[in-house]
Amino acid sequence: MTAIAGAPGDAVQRVPLPRGRRGSELAMLAFAVAIMAFAYADAGLGLNGHLPPGLATYVGGFAVLVLGAHLAVRWLAPWADPLLLPLAAVLNGLGVVMIWRLQESGRGANPGNLIITLTAHSALYQLMWTAVGIGAFAGTLALVREAKVLQRYTYTLGTAGIVLLAIPALLPSSHSSVNGAKVWIIFGGFSIQPGEFAKIALAVFFAGYLVAKRDVLSLASRRFLGVDLPRGRDLGPILTLWAISMLILIFESDIGTSALFFGLFTVMLYIATQRKSWLLIGVGLFLAGAVVAGQVIAHVHERFVVWLHPFAPSLIQGLAYQPVQGLEGMAFGGLLGTGLGQGQPYWTPLVQSDFIVTGFGEELGLTGLMALLLIFGLLVQRGLRAAITVKDPFSKLLAGGLSFLLALQIFIIVGGVTQLIPLTGITTPFLSQGGSSLVASWIVIALLARISDTARRPPPQPIQDEGMTQVVRAA
Amino acid sequence: MNRALHRVALACLAMFLLLLVNINYLQVFRASSLASEPGNQRVFIQQFKIWRGEIIAAGGPGGAQQVIAESKLIKGGFYQRYYPSGYVYAPVTGYDSVFGSTGIEYYENRYLNGSAPSLAIYNLKGLFTGKPKQGASVYLTISPKAQLAAYQALVAMGRPAAAVAIDPRTGAILAMASYPTFDPNKYAPIDSAYVARIDAQYRRNPAQPLLNRAINDTFPPGSTFKIVTGSTAFSTGAVATPDSTIPAPQFYRLPGSTHVLTNDNDSPCGNGTPPIIFAFTVSCNTAFGKLGARLGGAALHRFADLFGFNDPSLTIPLPVSPSSYPLLADPAETAMSAIGQFDDTVTPLQEAMMAATIADHGVLMRPFLVSQIRAPDQSVVYSAQPAALRRVVSPRVAGDMTTMMESVTQNPAGTAYLTAGPPATGILIAGKTGTAQNGVNNSNLDDAVFTCFAPANNPQIAVGVIVKGGGFGADAAAPIALKIIQAYLGQR
Repeated sequence: MTAIAGAPGDAVQRVPLPRGRRGSELAMLAFAVAIMAFAYADAGLGLNGHLPPGLATYVGGFAVLVLGAHLAVRWLAPWADPLLLPLAAVLNGLGVVMIWRLQESGRGANPGNLIITLTAHSALYQLMWTAVGIGAFAGTLALVREAKVLQRYTYTLGTAGIVLLAIPALLPSSHSSVNGAKVWIIFGGFSIQPGEFAKIALAVFFAGYLVAKRDVLSLASRRFLGVDLPRGRDLGPILTLWAISMLILIFESDIGTSALFFGLFTVMLYIATQRKSWLLIGVGLFLAGAVVAGQVIAHVHERFVVWLHPFAPSLIQGLAYQPVQGLEGMAFGGLLGTGLGQGQPYWTPLVQSDFIVTGFGEELGLTGLMALLLIFGLLVQRGLRAAITVKDPFSKLLAGGLSFLLALQIFIIVGGVTQLIPLTGITTPFLSQGGSSLVASWIVIALLARISDTARRPPPQPIQDEGMTQVVRAA
Repeated sequence: MNRALHRVALACLAMFLLLLVNINYLQVFRASSLASEPGNQRVFIQQFKIWRGEIIAAGGPGGAQQVIAESKLIKGGFYQRYYPSGYVYAPVTGYDSVFGSTGIEYYENRYLNGSAPSLAIYNLKGLFTGKPKQGASVYLTISPKAQLAAYQALVAMGRPAAAVAIDPRTGAILAMASYPTFDPNKYAPIDSAYVARIDAQYRRNPAQPLLNRAINDTFPPGSTFKIVTGSTAFSTGAVATPDSTIPAPQFYRLPGSTHVLTNDNDSPCGNGTPPIIFAFTVSCNTAFGKLGARLGGAALHRFADLFGFNDPSLTIPLPVSPSSYPLLADPAETAMSAIGQFDDTVTPLQEAMMAATIADHGVLMRPFLVSQIRAPDQSVVYSAQPAALRRVVSPRVAGDMTTMMESVTQNPAGTAYLTAGPPATGILIAGKTGTAQNGVNNSNLDDAVFTCFAPANNPQIAVGVIVKGGGFGADAAAPIALKIIQAYLGQR
């Protein structure tokens, strides 16, 4: 960017300043809160024929929270991308509404009492976790004033990530296993999914590690069959990560998380090195691992069978019951949906977590679900935009990795519940019930906001009129 | 790194596009096949979330109406069917249950549940106003007064029986009662275990309460078939007028048979060659048996068909079991069939149709139950147009038959003089009694049959009544018909 200040003969020549667009952000946040309020009122009307009693509490509480987030951005990251916070807020708000709607149909004498995994306070907890998540958002913005600061903690965070991932595998099942997936840390009624935080720590680790090693990983090569293959000794990191993700798959019965980590690493490796061979190796290794796991590990094999034949009579009341309910729910919603509170998402087990997208598909229809996917897509796009505009390589790689992580997570869970790919249970960011996922998602948004703030922040203005001197800044 | 980031962005776009295409496929193109998957609980449950339309008995004189089936909102946003006078209207409404439906509930289901194509526009409106899906209301030709009178009279009789009343000018069914019957409210709860238990109880019950005797059970017509025999005789010219005499021996040995046909109590029939009106009035079997043999099986069969026998395709819209008059060649069998014995069978509806044909000057109107269907906004989406099925006899023959049927109630010698004549009512009724022997060697109690219309000089209602094991037709069936007529015409 080149700016010319004070050309001869002019009194003052103004340079158009980049704008923070915090006002736009506030307006869009108001819109997000309005959508949440209307959705909540709609769900109450659909369920009971009158406005829900907690309307003011929920909407007011949510409005206060997002206003707090907005003020934090104004104060701590005034140049951040104005779309990130409103997009995250509308998803979070709709998630709270859906959980409230599911919790309400799960009580009383109607068929919804099938949802035994929800209590009368699930939505309130989700709102409280929203508060924690927005707190984490503001805290991250406050602590991480520049994303590249995190580069210093590359190996610390890498170790932390591995440890967080490994803890559930090492704990006894009573303290780590819910519905067959051994991904929890459970102590005295309080439970977290450490993997949700591990993925952020590992994204930071990958970014730091790859920025340091990218030259050797991208340059040294042997050419084989028209593809530049890396040297054998450089394969170490990707093989290690592959081994770790396979271990997760075996010991924690968590294909989704395994695919997520390995996909994240492979793509970050590709972004860092720009070499397609890494992609080919990564995808090849993953597919080989998945195929072998599908043959050897019973529950992975089951996932494949259910994916291919969900309506098989032997499966429909058993293993395929949940995915079939999800599919039938979405079909039932059709083009426009039943309207919030007027569908029957309660037939789908765990519709509040892994299958929440099918609940939205049923009650908001194809139209609403497409809107939700576009919101997610826009979020990913804003993250990638930050990655492309920011100059610092570490920040660039981290933003690219986190954005892709978000996209991949959406693809795995939405593709899984819609029978596009085999189903693997992971959370839907911002929508699914659960504090860990929500807080982790807000931290991701905070990091993307921080990096976009760095990218969009105008360079320091000249302090004084430098007269005829032309100030040239490096592009 | 930006080149790689651009490629990653494209990959992300591709992933989202795949998801979008897939949900379009799932929620639009695959939606109907998923909806029809067996065991789709949502589709099953959804029928109880529809505000099903009302069924209204709206055929009362002066437009009197009564809601006979409606949906009430219960907890959970479900609607449950409620039948305010369940037993009275059960043969008409049928029931709507978790396992399926019967009666009008079944045959007008597409209107009642709002899925009929002609209601699409109202469903679309509801989609935008957010109202629950609402079905159309079905207005019936049933007269609440006539139906209640019919049901109460059947209950008072206490034997398996049915009664049907028709407006002879239009074919509109004014009453359709059957006894014993069932309570459709017991089928309404959204509780499959309970409904299954109730249904099993009803099906085990030897009294067959689920059987709609008015249209789905057949009985021997007995002497009421003499209306067909008489109409055939006048129409073919075999007998000129009601005052023409016909042979009526005290004992009539059937041609080619040893069986001897007698009259009631072996009594003679007048002087042996009475006018046909006298033979009809006192219901001489020998006269009409001999007349039938003379007319021949083919002619009787032709006129029986015209009156509505042997028609398996009649629907009102509930399907009506065909009444049967076989094509006979043997003169003995023809003679027996001419007085409503042998293999003749009728539904109570067919009895009413016979009287209605005579009342309507020889034209048989198509019987129907549904007069109107109204969308939730009260606009009319269907309105019945009365239609003639066919001309059965000429107006002259119908007039002659009317004269003879009046005589049955008005002549002190008539079989229905005491029960439907001046001693019983001031209404001028034209009718015919029947007492049908049945069972092996006539071992069972006779079925009592009565068919009539009133007022004879200005027909507004035609009634058919059959009481199983009711004995002499005039005693058991005629008073029931009279009660229905009185209730409908509002006279004593």
